[in-house]
Amino acid sequence: MTGTTGLIRIVKAALLLAFVVFVSLPLVQMTMISFVATLGHPDAELGAFTLRNYRGIFTDPNLRSAFANSIAYVVINICITVPVAIPAAYAFSRLSFVGDKHLFLAFIAFRITPPVVLTLPIFQLFSSLGIVNSVFGIALAHCLFNLPISIWILQGFISAVPREMDETAFLDGYSRRRFIWKILLPLIAPGIAVTAFFCFMFSWVEVVFARILTTTNGKPISMALNALFGFQTDIGLVMAVTVASMLPGAALLFAMRSHLSRGFKIGQV
Amino acid sequence: MKERDNTGWIFVLPAVLVLGLVGLVPLITVVNYSFFEIFILDARFWIGMEWYEAIIGSGRFWASFGRSTLFSMLILSVQIPLGIAIALCIPRRKMWVGITLAVVALPLLVPWNMIPSLWLALLNPDSGILGRGLGAVGWPADWKLSIPHTWAVLVAMDVWHWTSLVVILCYSALTTIPASHYQAAAIDGAGPWQVFRHIQLPQLYHVLLMAVLLRFMDSFMIYTEAFPINAGGPDGATMFLAVDLGEEIKAFNYGPSAARSVIYFLIVLTVAYSFSKAQSKLSERQAA
Repeated sequence: MTGTTGLIRIVKAALLLAFVVFVSLPLVQMTMISFVATLGHPDAELGAFTLRNYRGIFTDPNLRSAFANSIAYVVINICITVPVAIPAAYAFSRLSFVGDKHLFLAFIAFRITPPVVLTLPIFQLFSSLGIVNSVFGIALAHCLFNLPISIWILQGFISAVPREMDETAFLDGYSRRRFIWKILLPLIAPGIAVTAFFCFMFSWVEVVFARILTTTNGKPISMALNALFGFQTDIGLVMAVTVASMLPGAALLFAMRSHLSRGFKIGQV
Repeated sequence: MKERDNTGWIFVLPAVLVLGLVGLVPLITVVNYSFFEIFILDARFWIGMEWYEAIIGSGRFWASFGRSTLFSMLILSVQIPLGIAIALCIPRRKMWVGITLAVVALPLLVPWNMIPSLWLALLNPDSGILGRGLGAVGWPADWKLSIPHTWAVLVAMDVWHWTSLVVILCYSALTTIPASHYQAAAIDGAGPWQVFRHIQLPQLYHVLLMAVLLRFMDSFMIYTEAFPINAGGPDGATMFLAVDLGEEIKAFNYGPSAARSVIYFLIVLTVAYSFSKAQSKLSERQAA
């Protein structure tokens, strides 16, 4: 018996290790290139180790503003998505209303609609509203996929809160709004953090909307990266920017690591 | 039982408004355009179903449809079992859980347009970590000329990029299994396979359904990552549905691209509908 459990443990560890190596390979490659001078410079020979690429991020005003833009639109997106998603998630979790199942289906359909399908009309709509080339436009467009996913995640967390909590609170004279604000929100705080993290993750790396909505101004990191490709691409700089673009997410990921695995009591409408 | 209460609509109203603005309004615009021949947006005339007939009747559409379906099936058949397996392998010790999850999730943080560049660098026969090693085992330096090799790269890239999502979802569902279930199984003398089959897998059904939905649709409509690897080649062998649409939009063919968008959205609706059917069937079965 102990022999087989020991064997299983070794197999598990080996499989996990193999997967971690597979996941790391492109990232290691990227990090290696980011420390190499890939274009000849007076102070760094071609192929030599250098920190020049990372310095380049701070000296290029386009790259600096790209980081600021990315952070701005992701924060705006989270500020729209989370407050809008919480009441909706509560309704899907606790209340039954006419058309609830169909509405949830419609939300899911918007999540899986490929952005490329809606690029043209969204561009027209947003330019008539005057929000193209601004971080606000991207933030709003990204609600298309972030909002349904947020509702889904939060609904799981709310459904994990026992229904008796609601009933006791109502007996104690809480109104529904006060119950959500005073009791439910503190209980699902980890869920809100997880939701915000997923919004960040899907929004930070998205390209299709970010491209069509920023032709002249408000370019995020992904588009600044695109702009670096040209006749003579400094691939070292490109990789350095990519590494740097992953750092905020990696920091968040590390801070969230214990919450990430909790929750998701995947509910259904 | 949930209470029957139409005040629920007040709670979902903000979400309906936001998604109405960024989802429904653009969608209606697309449907409208799809019936017109449009040179510039102010000059257009009604042509009815012509675009649809042209697309549905073209071999190119069905070829892309077939390729996308094949790609999605390959992706699902690798990512779902692999995701479950890795989720089961994550150690129990609390410190390691966090670190493993954080490392595994890193690919999700790479900007999508950089993913092909990372893989091309990795496979570079002169300087890539993988490219140098693979040359020794018969991987051709000019793999871009070969259909199976290009497909292998695309599948590996997507598996690298997205398996983590399946892992995270599965792992979080596994953590909701109470310890008493495992103890009961141990008392009954259940082996690891029986524990998986009767305790762990049933707990995964709901989240797997969601994982299958997300991974199926996102790989079926893969766009940003697929094209730069080999520009749809060799010989159009990796032209997927969304890539076709992207090309049409870049060429400013408003009418045909709108009709194509509507067809794709109908596919989305069909998939979402079968998903909700499967979900309610699953709930019924688990309630019974």
